[in-house]
This record gives sequence, C-alpha cells and structure tokens, in this order.
Amino acid sequence: MNAQTVLASTGGGEFQAPGPEIFEFPPLFAGGPEWLTKPVLFAVVGALVVCVFCWSAFAKPKLVPRGVQNIGEIGYVFVRDQIARPFLGKNTEQWMPLLMSVFLLVWVWNIFAVIPVIQFPITSHIAFPAVLAIFIYFIKVYLGMKHQGPVKYFTNLIPQGLPKPVYFLLVPIEYLSTFILAPFTHAVRLFANMFAGHMILAFFSLVGFWFLIEKPTALGFGVGIIGVIVTIVMTAFELLIQFLQAFLFTMLAAMYIQSGLHADH
Amino acid sequence: MSEQKRRPEDGQQEFADAAWSVPSYLLSGMAIWGGLGWLLAKWTGQAWITPIGLVIGVVLAIYLVYVKYGRHSA
Repeated sequence: MNAQTVLASTGGGEFQAPGPEIFEFPPLFAGGPEWLTKPVLFAVVGALVVCVFCWSAFAKPKLVPRGVQNIGEIGYVFVRDQIARPFLGKNTEQWMPLLMSVFLLVWVWNIFAVIPVIQFPITSHIAFPAVLAIFIYFIKVYLGMKHQGPVKYFTNLIPQGLPKPVYFLLVPIEYLSTFILAPFTHAVRLFANMFAGHMILAFFSLVGFWFLIEKPTALGFGVGIIGVIVTIVMTAFELLIQFLQAFLFTMLAAMYIQSGLHADH
Repeated sequence: MSEQKRRPEDGQQEFADAAWSVPSYLLSGMAIWGGLGWLLAKWTGQAWITPIGLVIGVVLAIYLVYVKYGRHSA
C-alpha cells in the first residue's frame, strides 16, 4: 500500500481517511488466481527469509560464532531464556525449533509493514495468525490428552474443592475459555494490533501526502507537517509493537504448550 | 502441586498464566451468562435481564480466575 493507491480510492476530490479497503488486494496479475495477492506472496517471501536466515546461521555452526551465526544465536538465546524457559522449564529445548520458527516468522511478517515497497503487515490479515493459533491449539490439546490422559486432561482444568453448585456456574466458562476463546484471543490479539497499526500509519502518511503534495494550501501546510512528523514517530512505535506482538504470540504459544504438558496446579 | 513443592518461578509463571487468561475468561463469562440472560430476556420480554446476565458472567469469570490462580498466593 502506498499513498497513490490510497489516493486512487479517495476519488481525488477532498481528503478522505483510508478505510478497510487498504487491506483488500487484487490478484497479482490480470487473469491470475484470486487468492494469489500481495499478502500471500509476501507471506511466502517471509517464510523463505526465515528459512534462509536460519540456514545460514545454524547449518554449519562454529564453536566461536561469526557473522550470521552471531545474530542467530542472540535470537535463539532470547527466545529460549525470555519466552520458552519461564514456561517450559526442562522441556524447553524440545520445543525451541517450533517456538523459534513461530517467533521469527511472525516478527518478519510484522516488520513487512515498514519495509519500503512491501509496506503491509502480513499478520493484519486474520487468516495468517488464525492458522498459526489453530496449529498451536491442536498441539496443546494433543499434548494434554497424551500426557494427562484423554479424560483427565478435561477434568484437570476444573479447580478442586468448591461447593457442587458452583461448578455448574464455572465449568461452562472454563471450557468455553480454554477450548474456544483462548485460540481466538491468541490470533485476534496479534491481528488487531497489526491491523490498527497499519491503519494509523496509512492515515498519517496520507495526511502528510495530501496536505503537502496533492493539495498544498497555506492553511493545510501545518497539518501536513504534523502528519509527516506523526508518521515518523508512529513508525518507530510500530517497530516496537511488531517485536512485542511477535514476542507475545510466541510466549502464549509456550504457555499453551505448557498447559498441555502439565495440569494446572 | 502442594505448597511444599512450590518453587519461586511457579508463582511467576502462574501470574503470567492468569494475566494472559483473563481476557478469554471474561469473554467466556459474558458470552455464557450474558447469552443466557439474552435468551431469557427474549423469552420473557424483560430487556433488563441481559445486562444482569452480563454482570453475573463477569463476576463469575473473575471468581474463576481467583479460584484457579489466586488461592495459592492468598
């Protein structure tokens, strides 16, 4: 998405804030399949970037790391110590390939929002975080049934030592939360943050573009300047959010995996 | 896990569990008891039952979070 694309949808007359249409893309080329759009293309590119990065960092590891291996190891240690270990403890290493891949993939997809030409966060299309969240959800339920038993897993979720009528009130909430809303909030938290961030950047960059280049007026000049400054500030802020959301998504994945491996205390 | 076997990091982890589970518990509480309230409201024609159901759902969800995660530290 760039200023011209947004302008094309404003009709050219007066300033119109960008809406949800900035998330809709035509097929990549005329006559191409409808699903093959820019976000799909860059979702694949993002996955390839992660593969190439991990391959060059970890394929031939040296005892004294150099170059890409240095960066890869910093990333690995960060994911292991800050995300995985607090939840998974001694099972951490076993789950690191999954968690490291999820973290890097989500982060790269998020960072695409501020890469020139791409300028679109892949995770602002709900399908992408949804697939990742559903994948984690199935792992959680599978691990729960495998490690705690197919029936025990479901009964372990219910807190002990309460009067019987209270269970009638609480058990539906517990099951709806754990099995339906937890994966939903897992995906939506990432999606909504990236969606909103992209809207904010699109809005302020359009304000700058409109009032300084498209329709420059003496009165609008100040507004245009504010638009440009806020765009720069919000881009820096978005960089932080992109990292934070990748961190949170992976942290929740570790938390859900742990809840499958061990019952609540 | 019994109180004797608890390690300091268990408390930290439970805190994180609780913090990140709260939104889905609150939504669940509102969906179930608010939904039941809405059905009752439709059935009886008494619109005030829906907000009562929603509030009961939120209260029960907070109580569930307390029962699951808060009792250890109390």
